[in-house]
Amino acid sequence: MDFDKRILVCEDSLEGIFTGVYDGWKWKLRGKQVEISVREPEYPDFFTTIMTVPADTEKAGKVLRTISSRLGHAVYEALCYAAVSCCPDKGTLVFRVLWMALSGRKCDRRILENLADPDVNMVAKLRIKVWHELHRFYGFVRFREISGSVLFSEIAPENDILEMLGTHFTDRFPNENWMIYDSGRKKVLLHPRGQAPYIQKNAVIDRNAGNEPVQKEEYEELWKRFCYSVTIQERKNPHLQQQFLPLKFRSNMTEFE
Amino acid sequence: MVIQESLSIMEKLEILSDAAKYDVACTSSGVDRKGDGKGIGNSIHAGICHSFAGDGRCISLLKVLYTNECVFDCKYCVNRASNDVVRTSFTPEEISRLTIEFYRRNYIEGLFLSSGVKGSPDETMEEMIRAVELLREQYHFQGYIHMKAIPGASPELIERAGFLADRMSVNLELPTAEGLKRLAPNKSRRTILKPMKQIQVRQIENRQELALYRHAPSFVPAGQSTQMIIGATGESDYQIVSVAESLYKQFSLKRVFYSAFVAVNHDSELPMLPQGPPLLREHRLYQADWLLRFYGFQADELLSEKHPNFNLLLDPKCDWAVSHLEFFPVEINSADYRTLLRVPGIGEKSASRIIGARRYHSLDFPDLRKIGVVLKRALYFITCSGHMMYPTKLDEDYIIRNMLDPREKEHLPVHPSEITYRQLTLFDDMDAIQAGS
Repeated sequence: MDFDKRILVCEDSLEGIFTGVYDGWKWKLRGKQVEISVREPEYPDFFTTIMTVPADTEKAGKVLRTISSRLGHAVYEALCYAAVSCCPDKGTLVFRVLWMALSGRKCDRRILENLADPDVNMVAKLRIKVWHELHRFYGFVRFREISGSVLFSEIAPENDILEMLGTHFTDRFPNENWMIYDSGRKKVLLHPRGQAPYIQKNAVIDRNAGNEPVQKEEYEELWKRFCYSVTIQERKNPHLQQQFLPLKFRSNMTEFE
Repeated sequence: MVIQESLSIMEKLEILSDAAKYDVACTSSGVDRKGDGKGIGNSIHAGICHSFAGDGRCISLLKVLYTNECVFDCKYCVNRASNDVVRTSFTPEEISRLTIEFYRRNYIEGLFLSSGVKGSPDETMEEMIRAVELLREQYHFQGYIHMKAIPGASPELIERAGFLADRMSVNLELPTAEGLKRLAPNKSRRTILKPMKQIQVRQIENRQELALYRHAPSFVPAGQSTQMIIGATGESDYQIVSVAESLYKQFSLKRVFYSAFVAVNHDSELPMLPQGPPLLREHRLYQADWLLRFYGFQADELLSEKHPNFNLLLDPKCDWAVSHLEFFPVEINSADYRTLLRVPGIGEKSASRIIGARRYHSLDFPDLRKIGVVLKRALYFITCSGHMMYPTKLDEDYIIRNMLDPREKEHLPVHPSEITYRQLTLFDDMDAIQAGS
């Protein structure tokens, strides 16, 4: 048993995590313990080598293709969801589950059913959490029209789901110019009419510029009125409402302004 | 009747959404459709909730009436002909514009279009179809559309509507024909069930067309639903659940919705509800509905002539389990899926997770907790490798008493020896609740 441990520090993105998996695999085959982290560990440890791994599209692509073809779409999707979650241990968890499913010529396509295993259980939990948040944002994203018929939306998701939202909204609004701004990560997803969406990092929204996003308009008023009048007063239940629509989502939603 | 011509779109929306709110079906589920790249919209099978109203109900569709002018005089309805309320109608252009503008701001998943009966059922249905046609053909809208079939509309119009909408519904309104006759004199079982049957038959034909020609237009792809008002007339839960069951079996409905009666009109035929709408009863009916659709229960397993109403204190599954103790305990590591489903505290998800996880190794109680089994309810009914979680006993009185314990989490039940065989007061409470409601 080799006590020498490798901590691979990766970029906090889908690409970064799976690049880490690619590099980590080689170390694991040599019998080292492998951890994949998205930031430098705070306390250095004896017998631990910290290595920084730059994100590599090719390596990540190889890993993702392998997962997809050997373990099937369900596992692929679950691991992608886990990899964009906000959990700091996600890299190590994804790595360990993959090792369990694929090492030694194994190919366990039903690995995620092994919920009594703590790593698998955690990955399954992350999958549900991210999926749930993604699904909520499918509904809770609010666009407002800013000058030049551009639809603008601001969100602050816990997990890094911007790209995944992009796929959904591109299919839904192919002929609109729209953008979604992740205010926590300072990223913006831009979709010009009829084209593929792309991400711009380190974006800052200038609220004082001419294309002022906060613009009152008729349909916003209509929507607020609708939300009020569709409520049955005899059944009023703010607790239930808050259970389904927690307060943290409301700051960016038109009807709760 | 006050008909106002010159209302603004804001006033119309307020009146016509307020009038539509008692319709409970606001789901956008049942159909997966990618955008075609030309127009706007798509649809995903699970449906999407876009917001939640102050009553905790999901807002998924723009739920409005086409008009609240109505020649029918249904006693429970705010728009009945004899009520003196402001009447107004949308135009097809207004509805389609509003839907698109809401949709592109991602407020809604689509349109839910119902209507009062203006002139005749056919005239109304035609106007509604015009609005939806505009959406589908002019705006190339591929989002979700739920349309009501107006009872008494001609079969040709129902057919046209079915090719435009994703889901259609005809409201059963009341569980019994007598109730319907009394409260909705202009509707009859026949005019309600006829379009329902027509939609079902057409759907079956359409499935064959689609099997032959993949791109054939689809007819009501998300299926049809209906709704019943609960607590306006005196029927028992047993009658209601039996009606729902036959609707699922004979009309292949996708959903039956239950709507707790809200007293909007004062009428000698209607009950007074000083404690508000019977929400808990509605909740129990929904739970039972799930048991019928997903858990393999039959209506007469849950209730009977002798036991015609659900226990308001226990959910229907627990209620069933404590009176059928001969099926328990169930061994988690060997029971099949259908048996697991019948255990209180185990749902569809946890049952299939148990089946998956026990392939790796046998499961114990901490594993079950991780999997998501609600042990508070399940612990009386299961064993893991032959052991129970706590030394409990299979006794109806004992289990009910422990399950109704207000402590939140699962806990060590009161030891069987500490139980004194006092007659349970549970059913006295039940009587008090029912007498009050």
